[in-house]
Amino acid sequence: MGTGLRALAGLAIGLGTLLAWGQVDSASRSVLKGAAVEYMYPEQLTVTAGKATDVALHFRVAPGLHVNSHAPKDEFLIPTTFSIPDGLGVQLAAVTYPVGKDFTLPADPQNRLSVYTDEFVIQARIVAAVGNHLIEAKLHFQACDKSICLPPKTIPVAIDVIGK
Amino acid sequence: MKRNTLVLTLVLFIFATFAWAGWANFEYRKQAAERLLAQAARGELVVDAAGTPEYVSPLKGKPAPAFSLENLDGKKVSLADYKGKAVLVNFWATWCAPCKIETPWLVELRDQYAAQGFEILGVSTEGDGVGKDDKAAWDKDKLAIAHSAQQMHMQYPVLIDGDSIADQYGGLDELPMSFFVDRNGTVVEVQMGLTSKANIEGDIKKTLGN
Repeated sequence: MGTGLRALAGLAIGLGTLLAWGQVDSASRSVLKGAAVEYMYPEQLTVTAGKATDVALHFRVAPGLHVNSHAPKDEFLIPTTFSIPDGLGVQLAAVTYPVGKDFTLPADPQNRLSVYTDEFVIQARIVAAVGNHLIEAKLHFQACDKSICLPPKTIPVAIDVIGK
Repeated sequence: MKRNTLVLTLVLFIFATFAWAGWANFEYRKQAAERLLAQAARGELVVDAAGTPEYVSPLKGKPAPAFSLENLDGKKVSLADYKGKAVLVNFWATWCAPCKIETPWLVELRDQYAAQGFEILGVSTEGDGVGKDDKAAWDKDKLAIAHSAQQMHMQYPVLIDGDSIADQYGGLDELPMSFFVDRNGTVVEVQMGLTSKANIEGDIKKTLGN
């Protein structure tokens, strides 16, 4: 192979390396966005139709964030609440919320908040009619970190409830 | 000869591949830039290469968007009413715990710098999607805002329905959010989240041109 061709091949490889480097640079900054709370499980339940059944619903709070517990210590704070809309074939007979953890903001150590962080479990007592019900329950919450708060939000909690 | 032709074809193929890759990369970056430009109307929390979060507001250095909102007495208050003054437009909410920490600082700083032509507009941004058409919910919100403002001794104008101007102010996806508007109506600084009284004071001085 001639020297010219070798040089040409080297140039081509060098060019490719430069192009690949450009791609890395564009990915070096990322935007901090994501769900504050996610529903984890169960996705499907089989229950005895017409009979009250206790279900443990597992949620996960994004790292660094907290949401108010169901019983926040300030009247203005928005409590976390779980609900099932009417007419879906599954009734919510009762809900038991976990006790919140004490949390203080570094800038206000005297004031204790009651929050959920990491994972939390809501105990729901449901009564399902006979049949397969793909329900979209709701979790309403308001999340913050140590210096910012996000607007209140309602996320869907999709569960396939089979009443037998 | 045959071998040289083969090598030449291979090199040309490599060149063609890189040319295509270069074009694809250019198109990708162009589209990414367009996406970024489209998002530029919204403030964004980004992390730099060192992992440090930084709030980037599209409004910094630009004229503050005009608005006219009701105060707690139902009177319209416009940003334009404060022409010639240095104004801190502070977006807050009744449910925002960090807002409750910074509000007493704002009350003190407003008293301290009012004589120099400084004012604060506390714009309540409840983010609950409640509009005037839902009178019961609207009145409930208004009552909570009034109660909260009274509890925190907010002596400066408290305006409601900040949600209606959220898009103009970069989305207001996080609270508290403060826009420091100088006497010419230009946003000179933007603070997202709870910082410190000293930080806020520094930006007030900057806004006043001190």
